[in-house]
Amino acid sequence: MPNEFAAIFLNNEHANGGRQGMETVATTCPFCGCGCALYLQAVNGNIVGVSPSEHHPVSQGRLCARGWGAHEAPTWGERLVTPMIRRDGKLEPASWPEALTHVVDHLSALLAAGKDVGVLGSARATNEENYLAGKLARAALGTGNIDFCMRAAYDPMVAGVADVIGHFPFPASLEDIERSDLVVLIEGDLARTHPRAAFSVMKAIAGGAKLVTVGAVKTQLSRLAALHVPALPGGASEIINGLLKLMTGRGSEDEPVIAHRYEGYEALRRSLSSTPVTDSERQVAEWLASASRVVFVLAQTGASRDQVRRDAAAVATLAAVTGHLNRPGSGLLPLAGRCNSLGAIQMGVAPDRLPGGESLHDKKAQDRVQAVWKGKPFSGRGLDAEAMVKAVKGLVIVADDPTASSVDGKRLQAALSAMEFVVLLDAFATSAVAIADVVLPVASFAESEGTYTNMEGRVQRVRAAADPPNAARPGWEVLAALIAGFHCPASYRSGSDVLGEIAVVAPAYAEIAYPTRDIGWGMRTVKVPNGDGARVGAAAATRLTSDGFPYVLAIDDVVDWGRDPLIGFSPTLNRDFVARRKRFPGGVVEMALADADRLGFHEGRKLKIASAHGEVVLPVAFRTDLEPGLVLVPVEFREYAADALGSERVSAVSLEQV
Amino acid sequence: MQQAGAKILRKASLTGWLSQLIERHEVIAPVAGHAGDILFSRVTSPQEVVANADNPLNPPKQFLLPPTDPIIAIRDIGDGYHIEPIHDHRQRVIFNIRSCDVKGIKFLTSVHVFDLVDTSYVRRAENTILISLACNVPCADGFCICTDSGPFLQDGHDLQLTDLGDRLFVESGSEKGRSLLDTADAFFQPANEEDIAQRLALEKAARGLFGERTCHFASAMRRISGRRVPEALWDEMADWCLECGACTMVCPTCYCFSIKDRRECETWVRCRISDSCQYAAFTLEASGHNPRAERKDRMKRRFFHKVSAEYYRRDEAIGCVGCGRCIRTCLGAADMPTVVAALRRGAWRE
Repeated sequence: MPNEFAAIFLNNEHANGGRQGMETVATTCPFCGCGCALYLQAVNGNIVGVSPSEHHPVSQGRLCARGWGAHEAPTWGERLVTPMIRRDGKLEPASWPEALTHVVDHLSALLAAGKDVGVLGSARATNEENYLAGKLARAALGTGNIDFCMRAAYDPMVAGVADVIGHFPFPASLEDIERSDLVVLIEGDLARTHPRAAFSVMKAIAGGAKLVTVGAVKTQLSRLAALHVPALPGGASEIINGLLKLMTGRGSEDEPVIAHRYEGYEALRRSLSSTPVTDSERQVAEWLASASRVVFVLAQTGASRDQVRRDAAAVATLAAVTGHLNRPGSGLLPLAGRCNSLGAIQMGVAPDRLPGGESLHDKKAQDRVQAVWKGKPFSGRGLDAEAMVKAVKGLVIVADDPTASSVDGKRLQAALSAMEFVVLLDAFATSAVAIADVVLPVASFAESEGTYTNMEGRVQRVRAAADPPNAARPGWEVLAALIAGFHCPASYRSGSDVLGEIAVVAPAYAEIAYPTRDIGWGMRTVKVPNGDGARVGAAAATRLTSDGFPYVLAIDDVVDWGRDPLIGFSPTLNRDFVARRKRFPGGVVEMALADADRLGFHEGRKLKIASAHGEVVLPVAFRTDLEPGLVLVPVEFREYAADALGSERVSAVSLEQV
Repeated sequence: MQQAGAKILRKASLTGWLSQLIERHEVIAPVAGHAGDILFSRVTSPQEVVANADNPLNPPKQFLLPPTDPIIAIRDIGDGYHIEPIHDHRQRVIFNIRSCDVKGIKFLTSVHVFDLVDTSYVRRAENTILISLACNVPCADGFCICTDSGPFLQDGHDLQLTDLGDRLFVESGSEKGRSLLDTADAFFQPANEEDIAQRLALEKAARGLFGERTCHFASAMRRISGRRVPEALWDEMADWCLECGACTMVCPTCYCFSIKDRRECETWVRCRISDSCQYAAFTLEASGHNPRAERKDRMKRRFFHKVSAEYYRRDEAIGCVGCGRCIRTCLGAADMPTVVAALRRGAWRE
């Protein structure tokens, strides 16, 4: 008789042996890059609730709505619980040895036939899983085709900052934001994407700091800002250059010293000689000059990778020449979209990085990897996720979902379906199951032991509050078995063993790998460098629009949370996304009411949106918080606008009501 | 005078009494979480109980209204469906619960017996014994003195403990409390005049120890129920809320929920899951219409429910017990004292 809470939850396909009674386990939030801590509450091995952590340095007792709903997906989500092999088009249950052998045999056959294979790691997988995904690629499969889809929007920012400071960036922390006098937020809606970071900005404002926002949307934080500088997507470059011009041409007495410190300073000044400056930029420059602590927050945007990289470098230049690079209360924070975006890069889940995150040509890093792997890692540059999906014949997907987490979205379905052999490791039945030839069920974050690295570089523990359902196994264990299948050493007894190996390959992780890691709340990996020797440069000034295409069409976010399994499977968190999909079954674009009035457009009617790439016809909704000249595509509807966007996130378009 | 019949428990006997409670009940108490955090959790030995701990961020209402709460099972029996309630029969003791949380549970109970009786909640409440620990020193963010819910209790508790140093002063506030003492007679002795005097002095002293934190509900209530809050103020306040829902999750008097069915083998289990009136989709209707589409509408609703005269008349209490948790968890600046102060002023900032 199901007459008790415990009884009913034991009597289900997810529950299994071992865990009894109530457990409350400290772990790291699996959503955005802020990296809050939370407690998962479990009853008899079922995840039932969340408690906040009062003393965690990031969360400080706080969580956003996503954090408060973190218990939902593991319990309510459609879980992968048994290995499956596709036979005659249908996925059928298989044993673990059978499934693993099947994978090794098929991937070996592809390699033997000289066909390309690749591996996708994930911004929501642990460092341990990502590290082993990299090892699977660069040791077992002998390929540099290793990436994760969400890297495309984040890594160029990291690379841009590294271009200036000469090494892996040390991000500013949320605490720096709270201690600053001036926060400059470039193109981002923190309240939606990173609520915990938005809270830091609010705290700074309440404490007397000034906020400057730059972007095309008058966001919640823009309304609290001392100054909002409107800029269409891609237009932030001009503002950054204007600020650079004002800040480098001040003729102050320290300028010769500054010029001496930075390589390319004179060239930078010359390159900006004809850059126009506006009154808003003069105002911001005045604040920059008088503030003693300034944090620049860089959001992921839709611009092209090259532009993002140069713009990030320009902001880093601005931070360096104003003396706000990496001091307490000052610095630069590139926002990571997902919980382990930074960790995945540092684990080497990138076609141009070695495990440890160093460049492929870094000899010392190569030697470290070789010593541990007992063999040379494949150090050739591979294909990125976008190219890989279109080019390789065999693909191992570790908790990524290309149609959900890449800019191409569902348009990748055809390329993925044409692949000869796809292996999927995931805890959740994402859309990738449809294209998988083998499904290997792994533990969700709530059942895993491992680490995530937040956007501040803080390596934090992920702890299991329950056992993986049915036959699902920890991700590191499955990946290790696959690597071993290719006769590469991969014998680990636990996730900690994997972290121990990471510590050797990536020395920044050495301290966290010791058993003392459990005493506090994790630690930050990257040491504070000073700004000396930075190579400075200006932003990539671009003009998107032209007479024929006077409007900018852009995707509004980089994370499609509605299609992320951790939101999509959460009853409370997915409602907004479900409602919007129901309301606009064929997609929608949004534009400024002012533009619509001027053009005589009517809400709900369809617009023909044409660009150099092609055209689409979509219904339009009006907003009062958008900059004129902008047509915004909600990220979940990006495929509907794809023909006008090409493979970019931004495109110049013309509009016509049909 | 409820101190009549009060008992004394020597601290040396506390372990013995707790062991007995643990043997006979599921005992919930503040325990050490990770790295300095304190949480309410089940204890299996007296040593796990953290004495005089800060009140945990997540209130003990989670044991009466679990965030995921199976309430009925629906079974396909071939020629129809068999529906049966799922009962939680566990006998619980919440030990070292603070005065504000006792008042919170009292408030929740009054709501769940109002109109249609919620038997799932009521059964749990009946099976739960509240042993509270009075606050000799008010907590940093607490303002229970403004809500008549602390630092000491006059009612609502089954037993109230007061720390007298080497011993605990024990008052019963209900029949449940008295019979619990009867079953553990050996641990207790009657309180004498001196004990009673000390207990009363501590309460008086505690009332004098509240700091700056106050919350003047009366004038906020006048403004809300008199519809005298400027619209622009709601607009402005809504910009300082990041819609995390924490204020409702940790509020001892909040009880919003959704219903979701979960398939388990051949059974559907209907669960009550915690929800927040501050989430945009909470009031989203099937038609697509949302009566509280804007964040300020949802904030208005929250504070109308908490501090309006209309609800005060119905519930005989404002929907706040002064625990200060919304201050500690708000991902913004929309906690109760901040908003009440703004409502009084009619302006967000001074």
